[in-house]
Amino acid sequence: MRSISILAGLAVALVFPAWAQGLPRDAAVNAAAPNKTLEPRVVTNSGRLEWLPHAHNLTPWPTLSHEDRRPAPKPRKVRLAGPLDGDAARGRDIAVRPDKGYCIACHQIPGEEWPGTVGLDLRGFKQRQYADAAVYQQIFDARVNHAQTVMPPYGTNNILSEQEIRDLVAFLQSLE
Amino acid sequence: MKRIALLLWLSLGLPLAGANDAHREYDAMETYEPHVRGDQSLSGSYKHWAHPGKLDWRLAGNPEENWKLNWKFMDPPFNASVHGGHFALDRGEELFRELNAKARFARCLGAGKDGLKGLRARYPQYRADLKRIAGLEEVIEYCAAREGRVLQNGSYDNSAVSLYVASKSNGMPMRVDVGKGVMRDAFERGRKLFHTRAGKLHLACSSCHTHKVGLQLRGSVITTPYGDAVHYPVYRTRYFLQSLHLRFAECNLDTRTQPLVPGSRAYTDLEVFMTALSNGYPVTVPSERD
Repeated sequence: MRSISILAGLAVALVFPAWAQGLPRDAAVNAAAPNKTLEPRVVTNSGRLEWLPHAHNLTPWPTLSHEDRRPAPKPRKVRLAGPLDGDAARGRDIAVRPDKGYCIACHQIPGEEWPGTVGLDLRGFKQRQYADAAVYQQIFDARVNHAQTVMPPYGTNNILSEQEIRDLVAFLQSLE
Repeated sequence: MKRIALLLWLSLGLPLAGANDAHREYDAMETYEPHVRGDQSLSGSYKHWAHPGKLDWRLAGNPEENWKLNWKFMDPPFNASVHGGHFALDRGEELFRELNAKARFARCLGAGKDGLKGLRARYPQYRADLKRIAGLEEVIEYCAAREGRVLQNGSYDNSAVSLYVASKSNGMPMRVDVGKGVMRDAFERGRKLFHTRAGKLHLACSSCHTHKVGLQLRGSVITTPYGDAVHYPVYRTRYFLQSLHLRFAECNLDTRTQPLVPGSRAYTDLEVFMTALSNGYPVTVPSERD
């Protein structure tokens, strides 16, 4: 009896780390596909569900699976080094594009229709007189300022590059 | 015996304990009433959609106000148009007759003396034969397999059968008992998942659907989680039939989170949670959503 339980325990200990540190088994992925992540496609009048390659690899971030033991990236405090060197025109583009910052989903931006109302109204942002470094931190990882924020950590989670965040800061600071 | 238990604990418990230390973040954990009226203390929109037959057409016609109807203006009887959900319903009826030729399929789904009537209102439920809680679509896949047919969870034909079964409960209030035992545990796990931050955008369901209800995300207004699961499977006007688990996968993809497969334990727990938040609301299919 004891040897069985030891063997069972060993088997669990050996098998467990294989998936404990990686993707959960119930994630919709194809490990051989370039982006790994799959998306479902419903085929009319068929008993089979089709899975297509998704445009982005979403596997590096934790899922809702009970098996997922991977950590979420912790809040990261950053320092804006050197001159801002951001491009406000590029920043606007990043702010409205769904595949970039898509700030417009939650925030009002002058000159853009159908703004979101979840976040701060960004019209006249310059008048708030925030330091560049503070705005940079807020976009990079807003959790440092407010633990329960719904604002995604754009820098920490590699949603935007450091230069793209600099461009966004330049854009925001240009809003009279 | 004690030593064996200790060994088991050491071999099972230690790696689990270590893994559970992984840093995850959660929204402020709210409480929810497992009944549709719980919305009164969340968004307060319930009074506008409590009675499917008495929706205010003025709210329905106003894009800034129609969120208060929780999209029920796309459900029958307010929405009397013929759409893809009706074709799916016909397909579902045909498939059901084939599957149930030997009268075993309906029994496998859990039909009693009332046949399919009221069956949808009792799912998800614990299935002794599966030794776990399952949603209706998971059970349809299982019971179809026993008849030699492949009806994968989330496939059109599976959802079509689910829609047909649900149509036999039309007008009957959802009643999923999450008051005790494994169902209560599943509800609690679902509630926790609802508040669990995940994915590249680091969002939880509750980040928007509990804490930002009524606010705008670009052109859409965020609606309440109450009374939402009851109209699934739903016909999406971008031309496909969608089960609740596939909707969860879509929500995940929309927030740049790796989706799970239909029938996964996490999605089933979320289904238990979301369905309990529809308790008391009448089954209304076939429904449409944008």
